Amino acid sequence: MTSLSMDERWSLADAIAGRAVRTGVYTRSLADALGDLTISPLTGIPVAFAVLYAFWSIFSSFAGDLATDGFMVKLFDAHWLPWLQSVWPDPQSILYFLFVGDPAADNCFEAFGVLTSGLFVSIGVVLPAVFIFYLTMTVLEDSGYLPRLAVLADTLLHRIGLHGYAVVPMILGLGCNVPAITATRILETDKQRFMMMTLIAIFIPCGAQLGIMLAVIPESVGLVIFTLLFGFALFGFFFSRLLPGENPEILIDVPPYRRPTIENVSRKLRIRTMGFLREAVPFVLLGVLLVNILYLTGTIDRLSSALAPIFVVWFGVPPETVGPLVAAFLRKDLAVAQLSTIPMTAYQMFASVILVSIYFPCVATFVMLLQEGWKFLGGAILALMTVVFLYGGLIHLAGMLLGVA
Amino acid sequence: MNGKIALRTLSVVAGTAALLLGLADILVWIGGSGPFEIGFMQIAGDDFFRWAWGGAVVACGGLLLIAGGLRGAGLEGRARALLGAVLVSLIAGCDIFGMICTSIPAGEESEAFFNSVAGFIGGFAPPYTPAVLLLPFMLAIAFFLLREEAT
Repeated sequence: MTSLSMDERWSLADAIAGRAVRTGVYTRSLADALGDLTISPLTGIPVAFAVLYAFWSIFSSFAGDLATDGFMVKLFDAHWLPWLQSVWPDPQSILYFLFVGDPAADNCFEAFGVLTSGLFVSIGVVLPAVFIFYLTMTVLEDSGYLPRLAVLADTLLHRIGLHGYAVVPMILGLGCNVPAITATRILETDKQRFMMMTLIAIFIPCGAQLGIMLAVIPESVGLVIFTLLFGFALFGFFFSRLLPGENPEILIDVPPYRRPTIENVSRKLRIRTMGFLREAVPFVLLGVLLVNILYLTGTIDRLSSALAPIFVVWFGVPPETVGPLVAAFLRKDLAVAQLSTIPMTAYQMFASVILVSIYFPCVATFVMLLQEGWKFLGGAILALMTVVFLYGGLIHLAGMLLGVA
Repeated sequence: MNGKIALRTLSVVAGTAALLLGLADILVWIGGSGPFEIGFMQIAGDDFFRWAWGGAVVACGGLLLIAGGLRGAGLEGRARALLGAVLVSLIAGCDIFGMICTSIPAGEESEAFFNSVAGFIGGFAPPYTPAVLLLPFMLAIAFFLLREEAT
């Protein structure tokens, strides 16, 4: 191998640059002007609202109207549940209770067996919700819109000690909190990461929860999400001021808009959906099994009796909700489904769903927090207990002042 | 030249219609007296998300179309008009996607899983939302604006 002289190196660099670099006068195109309009607050905020509208509208039409209500409910309630109830022996046995659930149930929501509610929630509700969520998310990501959303959200998120890119884990959290916790690593300081993890674990409902809420309380989902986002901003503001640490500025590189390619979108969609299914389905099935065992051993009843005064007096919800709230540690989506079977006023249902959301993170998120270290987890639990107590009480107070609680 | 003036005029007229209909969406929701129907058009006004939020997006789309049309044939004007047309089309697209999603399954009462062809087509019968009625105009505006950019 011969070494090149300085002149030869320069000549080689010139030759490469001559072939690789194009020079000329750059003309501003319509795509550039559109790109600028989506970053400018005056025009960018309406666009952001339109994108979020489309995101939620597509999510609810596909996951709610088409997949779950259109096909899965019929498949599970009219075919799977009656078949399972007819072939599984001895409805009074423990195994029947654990795997099929209530022998008198006429729908999978109320059966609460591993093979009835567990399968229905994971396949009938969560799978379509996660599929359409990741599809729309990938299209937004690949089109180059997400960095623009980060620029727009930057001013707002700075007020709570975060920066624009915090919007990425926030949106990811609407699919599943587990990758959202991982995505907080794009934030610079320990303070920002701790704040974001805690706020996600408390205030961002996952796709499974959203899917169940859409099926159980469709008329209140908007109000629930608004209350959660309000809590996110309120407690973010306090965390930012109370916690020690820095909130540094960042530079965001905004790429040009690009047409998403089918190959990229389908590859990302497959990897994300399969990854979610591998993590979520075993958790849902195991969660139902453990909850049923806790009911069988009387643990949930004992906890309900012990905690009922706090829930009734401080949060204003019926004592029957304590069981689902304890079970929410294993699966929040299942807890919302369990709440739907308890007779409650509209306010009590709203308050209970909020409590399920802001209550302890689900066990998968808990494990992710644990991976960040005991210090992070301990701090998050302390913050979480304070927030649940304060925000839950605040919602009850607001309900009493409005005369609905 | 005449074509460009016609396109600017169409942007302003369609933008004004979108602005008024978007505001009507919001007002019917606020009034709580829906559904409001004129001919093929219906504003149900029963849901905050669709009528207040969606109506606000349609109204913003209308404002951008008007702003784009009034700015003239420059790049900034075209970009605003195109963005306005995209916003209104986005809401219309979501409405049509919703119609498709509710028309494919047979419904709770039926034993079948899939709707019949007649039932599926019936799901697209009028009345339509204002955004869907504005969609052909929005697509025409977007088409001519993009063609102008290409030439």
